Amino acid sequence: MSGTLASSAPGPDASAQTGVAIRVVGLVKRFGAIEAVRGIDLEVRPGEVFGFVGPNGAGKSTTIRCLLDLLRPTSGSVEVLGRRPRRDGIDVRRRIGYVPGELRLPERMTSRQLVTSVGRLRGGLDEAFVDSIAARLQLDLDRPTRDLSSGNRRKVALLLAFAPRPELLILDEPTSGLDPLMQHQFLAMVAEARDAGATVFLSSHVLGEVQRAADRVAVLRAGRIVAQGTVDELRGRARQRVEVWFAEDVEDLKRLAIPGLEDAVLDGKRLAATLSGPIDPVVAVLAQHRLASLVVEEPNLEDAFLDLYGRQP
Amino acid sequence: MKGSAVELAIGPLRQMRRSLIGWSIGLGALVAVTVAFWPAFRGSSGISEAIDQLPAGVIEAFGLAGFGTPAGFLRGNLYEFIVPLLMAVAAVAAANGLTAAEEDAGRLETYLSQPISRQSLFIGRTVALAVWLAILTASILLVQLVSDAAVGLQIDAMRVVSTVVLCGLLALLFGTLAVAVAGWLARPSVVLAIGIAIAVGGYLIAALLPLSDVLKPWSGISPWKWALGGDPLVNLAEPWRYAALLVPAVTLAALGVAGFVRRDVRAA
Repeated sequence: MSGTLASSAPGPDASAQTGVAIRVVGLVKRFGAIEAVRGIDLEVRPGEVFGFVGPNGAGKSTTIRCLLDLLRPTSGSVEVLGRRPRRDGIDVRRRIGYVPGELRLPERMTSRQLVTSVGRLRGGLDEAFVDSIAARLQLDLDRPTRDLSSGNRRKVALLLAFAPRPELLILDEPTSGLDPLMQHQFLAMVAEARDAGATVFLSSHVLGEVQRAADRVAVLRAGRIVAQGTVDELRGRARQRVEVWFAEDVEDLKRLAIPGLEDAVLDGKRLAATLSGPIDPVVAVLAQHRLASLVVEEPNLEDAFLDLYGRQP
Repeated sequence: MKGSAVELAIGPLRQMRRSLIGWSIGLGALVAVTVAFWPAFRGSSGISEAIDQLPAGVIEAFGLAGFGTPAGFLRGNLYEFIVPLLMAVAAVAAANGLTAAEEDAGRLETYLSQPISRQSLFIGRTVALAVWLAILTASILLVQLVSDAAVGLQIDAMRVVSTVVLCGLLALLFGTLAVAVAGWLARPSVVLAIGIAIAVGGYLIAALLPLSDVLKPWSGISPWKWALGGDPLVNLAEPWRYAALLVPAVTLAALGVAGFVRRDVRAA
């Protein structure tokens, strides 16, 4: 273990100085002929909840496993809490709580024995805190891990991740298998951890969850980040459905000249279209006409996501 | 750090408890049942005479020399082949179960995401293998000594201790070979295949090459020869034999660690 004094690498406080909890630059990871991650750049700021969104097989887990030094990047660099996982893995992992995506718990022990074992590796866990998390998740710690349902195993993994009160939570598909009530409980736990100053890196293909929990989002597709920004920005990029009922017949759509409207269909007094830009210019033009009704559907992250996902790389 | 180092060996050992009990009972029963036949065997000279009719090479290859003596009886029935082979298979299976099989199933990830190094996890599991084998060896030895006393099989206890310990070290060598393979490659089937193939191959080399005058010198490459070639039930084994098994075992374990810290951890 390195308690490096003279080192060219940033020290433990570097993340505070540079304002970055996770920095990934040009990350590429190949498995033989398969290129799972094809050049990812990513910055997660301390104290934020960062959503890492993408379909299965997009490279989310591969990226995450590089952060923990379970995988070694083919090229590019990874920095977690100001340190390099490859060199300072012990120190980095001491400050991380992790829920694996493909979750397989050690067998032939109860959850409590597993928690005790992990506690010994971490130099002790706060037992009262462990019990309070277990109670919140309605988890019976005295059952063998082998007999647990996938949802209950996920709860054990969540418990192990949250129990050390880590600076950084890296959660890979943390709610898969959880019922809606527990998903709600999970979101509350994430919010509390963030309020306590933790950074949360949340990978998911459940968009509603990310939309509710995350401050910023990166959308991953086929090993590349196709969009990155705040939830609102991403939502702003999504196409909105616009439906306008004019008070009188409009003869010619072209004469309306509304910027940003696509796939417009004019049918008598009704205009249906999708809008991919800002709504302001549209309203400006529509304001020159008498309208009976105007409906603009609020885009959600799912639409934004499908938009990006549907687009060819 | 100390607590975590202990946990990295004790934790996996706890999970291997059941297999340890199973192998101990199985091998203990084999030893006890075999020794139980000694009083009947001692009385009948027919078998010894029949063996004496066999060609000298065959007697040597199958460890049948002096079959009518306590040492020859134990060697021919137990320690020439079956006990060391089963211990080697147990060691390879245990090594695989502690490393490649766990990694392949994705069950190491929970530990590797904790503040421990790759090498300490792997060393901890290798130590667990050594302790597991030491307990198995001790239980076989205990059954052997108690059975000998029970049926009046008279043999020098030190020679029995030495023989069983050499079998344990031979098994450790094949177990650490499996560890070395697992360090570089998390494929349980490959780890088992290589470990068991080399254990069996080593026996065949030690047993069959001496049948040919040309090939006989080459039988010395087999670890079986290093362990049991001096007939330890008859002649107390030389100290170098222990070192000849232990030193390569430690080297192989180190090789496994060197591989494990360098590669990707396999996902489930």
